[in-house]
Amino acid sequence: MADLVWLIPAFPLAGFALILLFGRRLGDPRAGYLATAAVFASFAVAVAIYFDLLSRPEDERQTVVTLFSWLPVGSLQIDLAFLADPLSILMCLFVTGIGGLIHLFAVGYMHGDPKFSKFFMYLNLFVFSMTLLVLGENLLVTFLGWEGVGTCSYLLISFWHTRDSAATAGKKAFVTNRVGDFGVMLAMFLAFESVGSLSYPVLNEAAETGSLAASTASGITLLLLLGAAGKSAQIPLYLWLPDAMEGPTPVSALIHAATMVTGGVFLLTRVNPVIVASYDWVPTTIAWVGAITALFAATIALAQNDIKKVLAYSTVSQIGYMVLAVGTGAYVAAIFHMVTHAAFKALLFLGAGSVIHGMHDEQDMRKMGALRAFMPITAATFIVGWLAIAGVPPFSGFWSKDEILLFAMAESVPLYVVGVVTAVLTAFYMTRQVIMVFFGEATWTSHANEDEAPEVAEGDEPVETHDAHGEFKPHESPPVMWIPLVVLAGLAAVGGIINLPNVLGIPSGTQYKLEEWLHPVVEFGEAEITGTWAYDNKVLLIVIAVAAALAGLVLAWTVYLKKRIQPWEPTLFAKGWYYDQAVSWFMGNPGRDGFEAVAEFDQKVVDGAVNGVAVAVKETASGTSRSQTGYVRQYAGIIGIGVVLLLGWFVVIRGIL
Amino acid sequence: MLAAEAGAASAAFPILTALVLVPIVGAALVALSPKSRPETPKLIALISAVATAAMSIWLMASFETGEAGFQFVSKHTWIEPWGISWHLGVDGISLFLVVLTGILFPIVIAGIDPHHDEKPYLAWMLMLQAGVMGSFLSLDLFVFFIFFEIVLVPMYFLIGGWGYENRVYAATKFFLYTMLGSAFMLVGLIATVAIASDDLGRVTFDLVEIAEGADFAASTGRWLFFAFAIAFAVKVPIFPLHTWLPDAHTQAPTAGSVVLAGVMLKLGTYGLLRFGLYLFPEASYWSRSLWLTLAVVGIIYGAIAATMQKDLKRLVAYSSVAHLGFIVLGTFAFTTQSMSGGVIQMVNHGVSTGALFLFVGWIYERRKTRQIAELNGIQKVAPIFAAGFMVVMLSSIGVPGLNGFIGEFLILTGSFLTARWWTVVAAGGVILAALYLLWAYQRVFHGEPDDDNKDFPELRWKEGLTLLPFLGLIVFMGVYPKPVLDRIEPSIDVLISHVEEHTDYVEPEPSIVIGAHGEEEDE
Amino acid sequence: MMLQQFDTFVGPEVGWFALSPLLTLLGGALGLMLLGALTPPWPKGLYAFVAATTAGAAGALAMVQWDDITDNGATTLVGGALAFDTFAMFMTITISAAVLLVSLLTDEYLRDTPNDGPEIYALYLVAAIGGIVMSSANDLIVLFLGLETLSLALYVLAASNRRSSESAESGIKYFVLGGFSSAFFLYGIALVYGATGSTNITEMVTALQSAADLSTPDTLALAGIAMLLVGLGFKVAAVPFHLWAPDVYQGAPSPVTAFMASAGKAAAFAAMLRVFVIALPFYRDDWRPAIWALALLSLVVGSFLAVVQTNVKRMLAYSSISHAGFILVGVEAAAHRAGEADAGPGMPSVVLYLVLYAVLVIGSFGVVTIVSRSSRGDTTLSAFDGLAKRRPALALAFTVFLLAQAGVPFTSGFIAKFGVIQAAVEVDSYAIAVIAMVTAVVAAFIYLRIMVSMWLGDVDDDGAELAVPFSAGLAITAAVAFTLFVGVVPGWLIDAADTVTAYAR
Repeated sequence: MADLVWLIPAFPLAGFALILLFGRRLGDPRAGYLATAAVFASFAVAVAIYFDLLSRPEDERQTVVTLFSWLPVGSLQIDLAFLADPLSILMCLFVTGIGGLIHLFAVGYMHGDPKFSKFFMYLNLFVFSMTLLVLGENLLVTFLGWEGVGTCSYLLISFWHTRDSAATAGKKAFVTNRVGDFGVMLAMFLAFESVGSLSYPVLNEAAETGSLAASTASGITLLLLLGAAGKSAQIPLYLWLPDAMEGPTPVSALIHAATMVTGGVFLLTRVNPVIVASYDWVPTTIAWVGAITALFAATIALAQNDIKKVLAYSTVSQIGYMVLAVGTGAYVAAIFHMVTHAAFKALLFLGAGSVIHGMHDEQDMRKMGALRAFMPITAATFIVGWLAIAGVPPFSGFWSKDEILLFAMAESVPLYVVGVVTAVLTAFYMTRQVIMVFFGEATWTSHANEDEAPEVAEGDEPVETHDAHGEFKPHESPPVMWIPLVVLAGLAAVGGIINLPNVLGIPSGTQYKLEEWLHPVVEFGEAEITGTWAYDNKVLLIVIAVAAALAGLVLAWTVYLKKRIQPWEPTLFAKGWYYDQAVSWFMGNPGRDGFEAVAEFDQKVVDGAVNGVAVAVKETASGTSRSQTGYVRQYAGIIGIGVVLLLGWFVVIRGIL
Repeated sequence: MLAAEAGAASAAFPILTALVLVPIVGAALVALSPKSRPETPKLIALISAVATAAMSIWLMASFETGEAGFQFVSKHTWIEPWGISWHLGVDGISLFLVVLTGILFPIVIAGIDPHHDEKPYLAWMLMLQAGVMGSFLSLDLFVFFIFFEIVLVPMYFLIGGWGYENRVYAATKFFLYTMLGSAFMLVGLIATVAIASDDLGRVTFDLVEIAEGADFAASTGRWLFFAFAIAFAVKVPIFPLHTWLPDAHTQAPTAGSVVLAGVMLKLGTYGLLRFGLYLFPEASYWSRSLWLTLAVVGIIYGAIAATMQKDLKRLVAYSSVAHLGFIVLGTFAFTTQSMSGGVIQMVNHGVSTGALFLFVGWIYERRKTRQIAELNGIQKVAPIFAAGFMVVMLSSIGVPGLNGFIGEFLILTGSFLTARWWTVVAAGGVILAALYLLWAYQRVFHGEPDDDNKDFPELRWKEGLTLLPFLGLIVFMGVYPKPVLDRIEPSIDVLISHVEEHTDYVEPEPSIVIGAHGEEEDE
Repeated sequence: MMLQQFDTFVGPEVGWFALSPLLTLLGGALGLMLLGALTPPWPKGLYAFVAATTAGAAGALAMVQWDDITDNGATTLVGGALAFDTFAMFMTITISAAVLLVSLLTDEYLRDTPNDGPEIYALYLVAAIGGIVMSSANDLIVLFLGLETLSLALYVLAASNRRSSESAESGIKYFVLGGFSSAFFLYGIALVYGATGSTNITEMVTALQSAADLSTPDTLALAGIAMLLVGLGFKVAAVPFHLWAPDVYQGAPSPVTAFMASAGKAAAFAAMLRVFVIALPFYRDDWRPAIWALALLSLVVGSFLAVVQTNVKRMLAYSSISHAGFILVGVEAAAHRAGEADAGPGMPSVVLYLVLYAVLVIGSFGVVTIVSRSSRGDTTLSAFDGLAKRRPALALAFTVFLLAQAGVPFTSGFIAKFGVIQAAVEVDSYAIAVIAMVTAVVAAFIYLRIMVSMWLGDVDDDGAELAVPFSAGLAITAAVAFTLFVGVVPGWLIDAADTVTAYAR
């Protein structure tokens, strides 16, 4: 069965091709259902392969499926090949599974959009690329998917391209990711130079057998980290993700929450032996990048008022957790959190989408409130997602986050502290959001007449399913939209069971399922923490984690619902520490001026020199030609000079001297 | 080695000579065709161009894969007293450039309308094709030079006769600039022959004989090499000799730009490989740092300059400077990957930049402007047009899965082995490529169309059909370049070992760790 | 070579048949003068026809001589006064061909000047005689005779358009300056005679051979050489002795200009080879640098000044100066091996250049002639605007000539330049070779300018419709055919040129 792994990308590709050819004829909503079907088909294949691998002994759970030789030049032999192993299949499972649900949701959400079928064409293309990314047998196939998802992300962010902000955001995302890709490419060159191949088995084997120098390994790791920072929106390259919210909400859910942005984490996990083989300070660096990003983004999320911006920053922060985990050798925990996060963050985004949909494209949370009555299902599911991300047991987020914190503690106390603080903040800002949207008093009816109309007029989303002017009533979304919400809510609630810890008398048969599953992939890299203080005091840590979550929750409750404390939302946070502005300013002023200078230089100096020569010739010539007066006497005179010179040469220089 | 195999696979039918002569005959017929029937010239031109295309494709089909030497060689004495012979041959390096030349011309002839004076236009186009073909095929220094030089004339007339507002300035600049380069090459070429005749015992302009037989003293070889290199550097163009290119590209008619970008610029890079490295391995290896540096400067500089252009066509022109920088980088990195990548990049750049020029041309036909500032929101009114441009643009940016990436990746991977830090900088150019193209795309295609652009016509059928082969190649070469690479590599290997023989250079072999695939192949 | 005995006084036996080309031309000239004077005006075009046929016959005879020489080797004639070698014959053919083509050009032109009559053609033939004598002279006095014959004929020709003051002015200028330079030349002969005791090249060489071993340089001879160089430098219009050329070329009737630039230049350069390479190899190290300097100056000044001209005839005049520079490069190359057994490619490259350039320049001025007819003698660039639209074929022909002059491949011009550069490189004078090629690029600019106005300029409708006379058309067609044919199949001509190194002395 695993030999059929190529079917997983094949279905979305086929979907893409079909919609490309017949999209207009299929139209709304059939194109959407076709796309959804394609993704679910891949999901089915993934499930089948999962059980196939499961049925095998652990050390045989790895199959390489080579389609054809892609780049064969001399010692560089790159195949277009897939690697079906526990990690890639797990990724496929949630990419296609959750991806499918989001497709379904989008059928409802995008209903009525003039470019409906094109949207699903892009979505399928994205899923195709994403599966390539995770299934790649070598760095280059992964890179193929890597760039593919980047391109799709570009296309989808600027999907409503008539809006400048959307167009700019798309460009920003692509270019920023390119900076990361630069790292990945160099990593590939380094890998080829040192091991003569780009395939993961070779590379990892080299790392495990120690034939990969620590220096090289560190180089590769750090360069890949740069790539991860781009794709997974970590410091310093995170700043494209918040803007990416310009895209339609399902896109934010699929690409910028559940799947693509976890690519970096996946890649680092994929090459975990290399990370281990590098200098000790390298993983630490990774951990700190993650930790700082997590905290940093969380602070920004505190002060956002756009329902999607909050989720965006929380995504950055949550991925920070995963990177932190990778840095501390908690690969299983990282993947674990990736999966749970995929579920609850997709849920939250779709919920937000449902709200925006119900509010007629209102995204400002200050113009919401008390919506739970109007959109009960959305509210309920959103609350599940909230509890999950806040880390409230027994919801899924709690288990995965706890695992990460455990390893962080085992690694170093500062990391752990940062992690916990972030957890508090997470609980806080998510609670704030839930209250502003679903609880408190409604602040929207009053806005309906004046502000609502211009909102729609100027931000002309093509979602004109119903007239947005005048009085309106927020309403629940149609089933095609809320069914996925319910399913995701279920996953977000119980997702934790895939990797339960061995505490609190959890039956041992159910413990660490994910760890077992991933064991062959990460066994070399996974940090060994048994025997550390942290390991022995798991329960204490769990208590702290829960306390942190509840603390944040309660605090937000008192601030935003009970209004006991003045909300503290410093502009510094609201403006994201001015990092974005600083960068944009730099690009806009010194950067642009520098570029202008070069262009000037080319015009004035380089080309100027060329034209200068021409002018010089003309000038000298016309100067000399003025000596051509036409008077015979003058001609004779010049001839005379010639004679004298010749005589001088012959007689004086050659003759006498 | 090459000499030994020269003539090995010479076909009974002198296909290469035919490749050069058919266009010339076609041009003559077009020129002579009667005024009374206005459609005949186009018909003749098409027949000739299609015939050439068919022959070039047949050539590719019957080309011996894995065969390093020159094939289909035809050699006849031409100017006996000067030891000049009509010596044509094709190998993995020239094969695909020949094919590209073969298929590019019928497409542009059929697809692009000169708007006026069609007859001379077609005649010049065919002359141009003959010249380019000859340059790629000739294995005799004299023959190469005359074709390399004659190409200027039709191009001059195409730019001057069918170009835009500053066409005369651009055409003259192009002609004189390139001619100046060739001036040095001519002297160097004659000197090469004169000096080589001492080693060979006879005067001959035969490339293979000189390259294999003659052994230049380092000092001499370097002078000669530079005499050649200047001409090629101008043609490529390599920074800082590039400024004729933006003018020529911008002022040339669409077909001219397509051909210029598609095949003519490759005369320079091809020349560097065939007449630089092959004739003067020592000198080229000795001076590699210079070329690597200039190449990298070109990559970054060209990209930056492109970013700031206000004229869409100039932007694409500057992007060519950057892209060709990659080819030069790969050439002077002396590794199988980098040089094969360079060769395949010649083809790929031809395809994607050629297609970009098609689009710019179509935009101009519709809006009578190339100013980015005057264009906007086109994607809303002409989505298919925009989509086509998008694909071509992505290939030019170097997105994997499309052809542009293959060349760049191979070049960089290979040159990383021998020129690490240059490569690191060059890879930065990849970021800039995304910057200038996406920015331009956003300004031209995104946003709301204003009144001037709101009735921008959608892609027409004829245009679509013209575009189709380009898109096909863009995808095919990106997904399955193996057949191309398999034909290029042997010739490259031979060239590298030729360099290794004449220098202390040894191609680095990436250390292979046990197992997996990645079969070791000896260079 | 055969040496003359002095003690015995045998009347020099004259190889009458060997002189047949000269005699033919002489006969033609006299015939035209006498008959033309005595008879009423001949039917349209007959004068030209006679002149052309005469020249053709002379050329044909020269070709016959050629085989004789290649079979029996080169000798001298008329008591060692004239050399009878392939070099002489090569030049004879070149000059005869020039006369032939120019006569064809002149025909219609003269008739609507109107100025028809036998004189002009007779003068062509006389000038041709002078040129041939120059290029086959084996005695400096004889050479001087030839030079004067040529010059005097040219002075008159330059002034031959009675109705044009420019023509008269150019004639006078040419005459005065020409006389000036001839004086130098004659004085040079005298000095060299003083140094060597003979004006006969054969004897000079023997004398110098014996004298060469006394190492002290002979100042007298050197001074003489300087003078000779002045005289010849003037004739070939080498900078700084070139100043007459632009004015005269512009003022003289276009066909005459064509004749001066072709036959005149060819003869002068042939004489230069005779005097310096053949007669004075022993001083080659003395005069080679001078030639080098002249070459450099001619190349640079010629090409640079051409750029700023607005009159096409003037442009071509300056371009002919830069061409002279190119030819001098060949002479310089020849100098390196002057007098050696293996004379090297210098001389061949020069004669090759001469014949190819002769045809080119005649063709070019031929087009100018035709165009100026419709533009009432106006030869400024504007007169050529839109020529391609009025007479595409003519424009194409001119384009071919211009590209050839620019040295574009597949034209004779490229072969000519290639030969010269090859010769220079052969003897390691790289510097001048590179300079020559670079200045060629500068010169190319004007050719492009002319092409631009022809192809891209707009037609001025007031221009009378442009008729191409049959004879002129014939000449131009022939020139184009030759230019392209040699451009593709030059081997035979190169072979022929290579034989001139076996000169008689």
